[in-house]
Amino acid sequence: MKRIYVCHDTLTGIYSALHDAWVESRNDDAGIRFRGKIQQQFFCDYLIVDENEVKAAKIERLIKRHLGYNAYWAVYHALLSDEERKAEAVFHIMQEARRIQDSHKIMDHLGDENVALVFELSRRVSNESHMYEEFIRFRELQNGVLVSEISPRTQVLTCIAEHFADRFPLENWMIFDRTHREALLHKAKEPCRILLDAYPDSEMLGKLSDDEKRYEILWKGFFKSVSIRERENPKLQQTHLPIRYRDMMPEFSGE
Amino acid sequence: MYEHIQTEMSIYDKLNILSDAAKYDVACTSSGVERRGDGSGMGNCRKAGICHSFSADGRCISLLKILFTNECIFDCKYCVNRSSNDVVRTSFTPDEVCTLTMQFYRRNYIEGLFLSSGVMKSPDYTMELLYATLYRLRNVYNFQGYIHVKAIPGADQRLIRMTGYLADRMSVNIELPTAEGLRQLAPHKTRKNILTPMKLVQEQTKENRYEIAVRKNSPRFVPAGQSTQMIIGATPETDFQILNVAESLYDKFELKRVFYSAFVPVNDEIALPAVKRKGPPLLREHRLYQADWLLRFYQFRASELLDEHNPNFNVFLDPKCCWALKHLEVFPIEVNRAEYHMLLRVPGIGCKSASRIVKARRMGNLDFQDLKRMGVVLKRAVYFITCQGKMMYKIKIDEDYITRNLLNTKERLPEGADGMTYRQLSLFDDMNFGVNDAFETVSGKKATI
Repeated sequence: MKRIYVCHDTLTGIYSALHDAWVESRNDDAGIRFRGKIQQQFFCDYLIVDENEVKAAKIERLIKRHLGYNAYWAVYHALLSDEERKAEAVFHIMQEARRIQDSHKIMDHLGDENVALVFELSRRVSNESHMYEEFIRFRELQNGVLVSEISPRTQVLTCIAEHFADRFPLENWMIFDRTHREALLHKAKEPCRILLDAYPDSEMLGKLSDDEKRYEILWKGFFKSVSIRERENPKLQQTHLPIRYRDMMPEFSGE
Repeated sequence: MYEHIQTEMSIYDKLNILSDAAKYDVACTSSGVERRGDGSGMGNCRKAGICHSFSADGRCISLLKILFTNECIFDCKYCVNRSSNDVVRTSFTPDEVCTLTMQFYRRNYIEGLFLSSGVMKSPDYTMELLYATLYRLRNVYNFQGYIHVKAIPGADQRLIRMTGYLADRMSVNIELPTAEGLRQLAPHKTRKNILTPMKLVQEQTKENRYEIAVRKNSPRFVPAGQSTQMIIGATPETDFQILNVAESLYDKFELKRVFYSAFVPVNDEIALPAVKRKGPPLLREHRLYQADWLLRFYQFRASELLDEHNPNFNVFLDPKCCWALKHLEVFPIEVNRAEYHMLLRVPGIGCKSASRIVKARRMGNLDFQDLKRMGVVLKRAVYFITCQGKMMYKIKIDEDYITRNLLNTKERLPEGADGMTYRQLSLFDDMNFGVNDAFETVSGKKATI
């Protein structure tokens, strides 16, 4: 019977499931599904995966060694996406890699549909995280902390952490991910931390500093005056800056 | 009196006036330098640059683009801030510029500062103010983000050199493509005055390269290179002349970019063309940028794209397609064997897909499906390539036939460019009469249809 491994949709969870699947059924067809999103099928064994860091570290090491770093990062990004088949696709490219001559070249094997899917997913995630590096806006609270709330489709927080930590090393800042209920916390001069199951305290977030309103107004004024009226082109603006990013940007609020 | 006005004006009004005055400068790129923060201040730079917003005209907002002052002793006819215009004049103080930059930057509004200026009192005086501002920003506020600064033509060489060590990119605007145009429209600027600082920056950059080779930690001089900009459509130059100027700027001055700015009339001036009714020549600007890319990345020369008999770009087809149609004798080329520089000349094949093709064909023969997967735009490329000796469809290598088909690929052209001057009226249309005339200013050779 086909084995289906059931895990949480987290990196540790998926890596643990991949570990179990690899140990037990690397020669067979196996599936990986996420808790809460299963549609039961006939003739399948459903196995609940025992998730832990040790398994995850093992499988990460395996991927790095046998598929190379290029593939590792592609897999890493793909697993952060919002696609249901992502874990299975990764499992299948690991199987496929055993079949080809040089397993490090697995990501070039775009003819394989699973490789193509992982490639596309990793692009989707890194593109979205680039968008957030561009369009995230911070607001300053009374205690000087910079706060931002985003609702991305994929789990971009770990991808943008490095960029902002390098950019604002002396600031205290946090980014809330409303979709996945996670938060990225950065304390001055310390490395970033991810907080799972984070709920933003709306009362605390409401206490903006006195300067905040002022700079928002200044920015809105700048945004308006820098555009050339004779060249106006809202369609072009929308291609570059899709509407779904605009709700967090002060220059588009209140219009 | 003047001092009084300056102290009274709020920072909000100043920012509005001085950003409004700076908006006609095109360059808003933050690319060309990769620098990590050192942990002691704020900011870093990314090689590809980062856009942070897009204004209503669809142009990216990457830098806080402002003038230091809009006071100017020069009287350039195309400029809002010319000395003979009656506009509200104001100036920032270095501290105001620094706080604005830092506060905007930490909210992730911007990628850095673009500081230009009118010429207040004298070029030296203005350049000194710019230097003082950058010095404060870098050394007092510890800002490590991107800075683009203008070199003021006519300013002391030492000032320009010192400023260059603080900035990432420097630019001197060449303003108009020919010395004749400059004499007519910018009486206080001369070609020589503009080219001197450009040469200076170029030579200092070369020298700095040696310094860095010897001592790795020596300060960098204008690491993201220099750029310039030309106004298109204010003077009667042809595209051929403009492109030649751009080419020689790339060759002789090693510029990173030449920007083209469609002329937007802001003054009522007899010496300027009256394009107010028609709107700025955007399509012409677009074609120039396309050709500019061909010069920088596709190994084309200006003389291949245009000549004296054909001095302007085609309205309907992009410069690369035009070149291909004129040189049908070299096509079709065999994708599996053609040299890299020939692949680059095929419409529909870009730099990325050309290098992918070169890599992939080492593993085996390629067919049209593979090309599609690599990102080749087949609807344009099919007329010019063969895969393993075969074309994709039965195609006549005939100029008229291919032109007609290329025009059918529906490159999004501005309304009216396809010769259709009528359309269905609806009750709620705000007919912008006169917009369609914009294309008359682009007197390209009509494609043969």
